[in-house]
Amino acid sequence: MIEKASAVAEPGWVYTRRGYAIARCFGQLSEHKLASICTLMVLGITLALPVMLFFSSSTLQAFASRSMQGETISVFLAPEIDDLHGAELALSWQARADVLETDFIPKEEALRALEQNSQLSEAISALGTNPLPGTIVLYPDLTEHDSDQMQQLAEFISALPQVDKVQMDLQWVHRLQAIVTLVKWIGGLLALFLTLTALLVIANTIRLEMSRRRSELAVARLLGASAGFTRFPVLLSGAVYGLIGGTLACIMAALAVLVIRQAINDLSSLYDSSFTMNLPTLSQIFIVLGGSMILGLIGAGSSIYRSTHELTLPDLKP
Amino acid sequence: MIEFQNVSLEYQPGRFALHDVSFTLDPGSFTFITGHSGAGKSSLLSLIARLTRPSQGEITVGNIAYSQLPVHKEPALRRQMGIIFQDNQLLHDRNVFDNVAFPLIIGGYRHADIKTRVSAALTRVGLIEKAAEQPLSLSGGEQQRVGIARAVVARPKLLLADEPTGNLDSRISAEIMQLLQHFNASGVTVLFATHDQALLDKFHFPRMQLHKGTLSVGMENEPRQSPAKQVSDANTRKLRRPRPKTTAVSNAQ
Repeated sequence: MIEKASAVAEPGWVYTRRGYAIARCFGQLSEHKLASICTLMVLGITLALPVMLFFSSSTLQAFASRSMQGETISVFLAPEIDDLHGAELALSWQARADVLETDFIPKEEALRALEQNSQLSEAISALGTNPLPGTIVLYPDLTEHDSDQMQQLAEFISALPQVDKVQMDLQWVHRLQAIVTLVKWIGGLLALFLTLTALLVIANTIRLEMSRRRSELAVARLLGASAGFTRFPVLLSGAVYGLIGGTLACIMAALAVLVIRQAINDLSSLYDSSFTMNLPTLSQIFIVLGGSMILGLIGAGSSIYRSTHELTLPDLKP
Repeated sequence: MIEFQNVSLEYQPGRFALHDVSFTLDPGSFTFITGHSGAGKSSLLSLIARLTRPSQGEITVGNIAYSQLPVHKEPALRRQMGIIFQDNQLLHDRNVFDNVAFPLIIGGYRHADIKTRVSAALTRVGLIEKAAEQPLSLSGGEQQRVGIARAVVARPKLLLADEPTGNLDSRISAEIMQLLQHFNASGVTVLFATHDQALLDKFHFPRMQLHKGTLSVGMENEPRQSPAKQVSDANTRKLRRPRPKTTAVSNAQ
């Protein structure tokens, strides 16, 4: 008979503290299957948009940067600067960290190019002298620098006495970056609200679960369970909810990227851009899963304090 | 074993669940706490179990002065006690074995020890053959026996019983009392809160009577049989030993 009773106590791992917590956590998910699935779906859908924004944030940044690539600053030197001095100046600017390359165009070369590419050759010949200044074309390094820094570079150069005029057209880049910034802010706020919603969903789910298990928690406390013993299954549940919710969100976001990818590529090709929407990287997925687990832990943690500090058995009240 | 020195428990300003209660219980004693509902029996037990804190006074259990006990050591203190409730407080989402095993899981016992101890406890209360059953499928008396098995499975030195026979008929109540006497005979200190006069008339143990939170009648050392005599089990009889002295003082007027 004792052997028969002992056979009830299987599997053995469930009868350890950690095993008990794991068994309670997954037991609760399987006990209320439909409710658990609904909660996890809500979490997944809620987190999907923030996750999608996170996945596309690096792509958006790259898009804004790439849009500036190929942008140049044309520096027209003062008339008294000769070609030798102009070439030296070009070389010295090339040594700057924010400059990728410089190209010095001597006065004569500029004149030849003008005569070949315009109808003004007769008019220029009539002048008798070369009216064009030496020109340095600057290619800023935009891999780590934004349009503001490009603007600063242009301002620095225009303040030099050797420089007559600086010309660049960054207005459309500014507009694009402003749009990207706006999208980031709106997306960020939306992501924040949705993340808070997910947090509340987890906290509420855990709170409901704790009220369902209130008698168990009270009995555990009376039998000498430490705070860790009662809290660990709750925190574990929160982490599991977060992890599964994050996984669902990753799947949904990846599917959404796949769906809109072709449309973005078509739009990009219309602007002769090489911009493409990529699937999330492994590191991005790990960040999302880690973040959603932490979110679950915070949600569960917020439910714990009040619930475990209010436990008393009615029949032990005076 | 248990010492109360001028202990009061004020649950609202000016309203006392217990007022200026002092007594001493020796190790291995069996003591009734009597009194009407609301007299303070459960409050007294909850103070001993450190579920509530006294408004004033000092409680000592074993060598532990509660005023010196850090909060994080309270669970370990509770693990040295067994608590039995009137409504048994069994968990209905698990079988009898798992209910009895619960204190051992909490205590971090090894799986092999859990199997041995739970089997032994269930054998002791006569429910070994019902280990796999759900508590709701058992009778009230059987459920209470499961509660007792759970209370004693970790072999506590102190058993606190809060009206464990309150919902049971007299025959089952007598069975429960016999079980508790078994454990008492093996050296476990038993504190039994009840207002069941029939039970008090039948079993003659020292009693403390509470009335509106005060010890209205100190300790009545009623003529009584040795617990071992009341236990029919021959093995238990071997455990018989001299009864410790129990004293109490009521400062309340």
